[in-house]
Amino acid sequence: MPVTSPSNLKEQAELKLKDFLLTMQEFFFFAVRAFSTIPKIKRYWRDVLDQALICGVESIPIVLVSAISIGGLMAMEVGNLLEDFGAKTMLGRSTSNAVLRELGPLLMGLMLAARYGSRNGAELGAMQISEQIDALRAFGTDPIAKLVMPRLVAALLMFFPLVALSDFAGLQTAAFVAEHYHKIDPGIFWNSIYPKLAPKDFVVTFLKAPVFAVIITLVSSFNGFSARGGTAGVGRSTIKGIVASSGLVLVANFYVSKLVLDFMH
Amino acid sequence: MIELRNVTLKYGEKLILDKVSLTVRNNTIKAVLGPSGVGKSTIIKLMLGLIKPNSGQVLVDGVDITPMKEAELYPIRRKMGIVFQGNALFDSMTISQNFSFFLRENLRLPEEEIERRVMEQIRFAGLEGYEEQLPESLSGGMRKRVAIGRALIFNPGTILFDEPTAGLDPVSSKKILNLIADLRKNSNLGAVFVTHIIDDVFAIADETAVLYQGKIIFDDLTGKLHESDHPFICSILSDKILEL
Ligand SMILES: Nc1ncnc2c1ncn2[C@@H]1O[C@H](COP(=O)(O)OP(=O)(O)O)[C@@H](O)[C@H]1O
Ligand SMILES: [Mg+2]
Repeated sequence: MPVTSPSNLKEQAELKLKDFLLTMQEFFFFAVRAFSTIPKIKRYWRDVLDQALICGVESIPIVLVSAISIGGLMAMEVGNLLEDFGAKTMLGRSTSNAVLRELGPLLMGLMLAARYGSRNGAELGAMQISEQIDALRAFGTDPIAKLVMPRLVAALLMFFPLVALSDFAGLQTAAFVAEHYHKIDPGIFWNSIYPKLAPKDFVVTFLKAPVFAVIITLVSSFNGFSARGGTAGVGRSTIKGIVASSGLVLVANFYVSKLVLDFMH
Repeated sequence: MIELRNVTLKYGEKLILDKVSLTVRNNTIKAVLGPSGVGKSTIIKLMLGLIKPNSGQVLVDGVDITPMKEAELYPIRRKMGIVFQGNALFDSMTISQNFSFFLRENLRLPEEEIERRVMEQIRFAGLEGYEEQLPESLSGGMRKRVAIGRALIFNPGTILFDEPTAGLDPVSSKKILNLIADLRKNSNLGAVFVTHIIDDVFAIADETAVLYQGKIIFDDLTGKLHESDHPFICSILSDKILEL
């Protein structure tokens, strides 16, 4: 049995840390290159369209389903809670903040981290291990411009309408549940929302779209590009990409909300 | 001409190539023979500048490519064509798109000229009628021919083959080897091919280098392999297949 002495452990920890920092540095350069190839967009607009279809149009069902379920759940639970305080007329106001600013964008982000992230990770990982990415470079095409930039641009464009859709579907479902389950008049429901909506609510929700787009696309693509070691390697890198991007989406969600709300107070 | 000079390469802490020097002259077929995992694919990637050595130089037509940036390397790489071990065809594109993709990417050619060149490669590869198929629906030998056709698309001076016959049946293998020999005879095209199959070497290589444990242990005319007294070479000459 191998004996692990404390000094050995320390050495290993140092190696891991060094590895991690090197990976971070690589990721940073990868991200810079993805953005700096955006000027080549004219040549790759077809790829942008393809990706926009995949991450935008084809993601509508999953975004709708998650927004509807969370909107309905929120209205039901918060409504029950408010009833105890005799404040059911505040249901609209109480759910709209949570749905609009937090849950709408967050769930959309997590769903796309799973859907778009896994697709990017697996597709690019398979291209990496079958040497298709090397082939691009060998024949004079920048693989980041051809494969990553269109994914990034498509996500940057499509995440805005998806967030809007998620928010809209969530709120509509909440209103529906309010009317049919809690018997609250829709006029009262919406009236407790509209007058209180502030610009900061929209800044928070729509700022999350590009932030999530960058996180999900770059993290999953980077992990795909780093795939090594056959099909099992593609699996590993895809998982890594999804775990890292969902984690980062959660963290970024918190900080965007906090920063904007602190700032616009 | 492609030349490695004292090239050392490590993956992490693992030493793969230890001060390797190797010359590929124009219009010759050079084989690099070695067991799997020895660093044969690595040598090909070094020649294209896809990876950089830890030390030493890689010269293409006398120009050191090791300090070059990716963008500077593109015109250099066009002097060489590459056929990857697994072909690395774009599996979401049809055969004719696989041919036309890099023409559209790299050269500003009129559409008719692109079509003409694509048809030429399709004929060369003997794939008339398969233009609109995806690579997955072709046999191994056909896919290899597509990969070779693609490697020729920029009229390179040298083609690099990574284990061109690995995974092919004996008949397809022979066809591919004949194709490589024909290219040299008819088009003055030099070739480097790396392999672990010694019969391939005797079939077509003018010169052979043997890579073993990070070093070149033999580099001369292929016929002289029999004169070597290195134990590894003696053992492969009697066993034919390189397994360690
Ligand atoms: N990107 C990489 N990172 C780490 N190790 C690698 C990488 N590529 C190849 N290797 C290792 O380097 C050695 C040589 O690889 P390769 O050149 O592909 O060998 P060959 O083509 O002769 O079979 C192998 O042991 C392989 O596992
Ligand atoms: Mg190999």
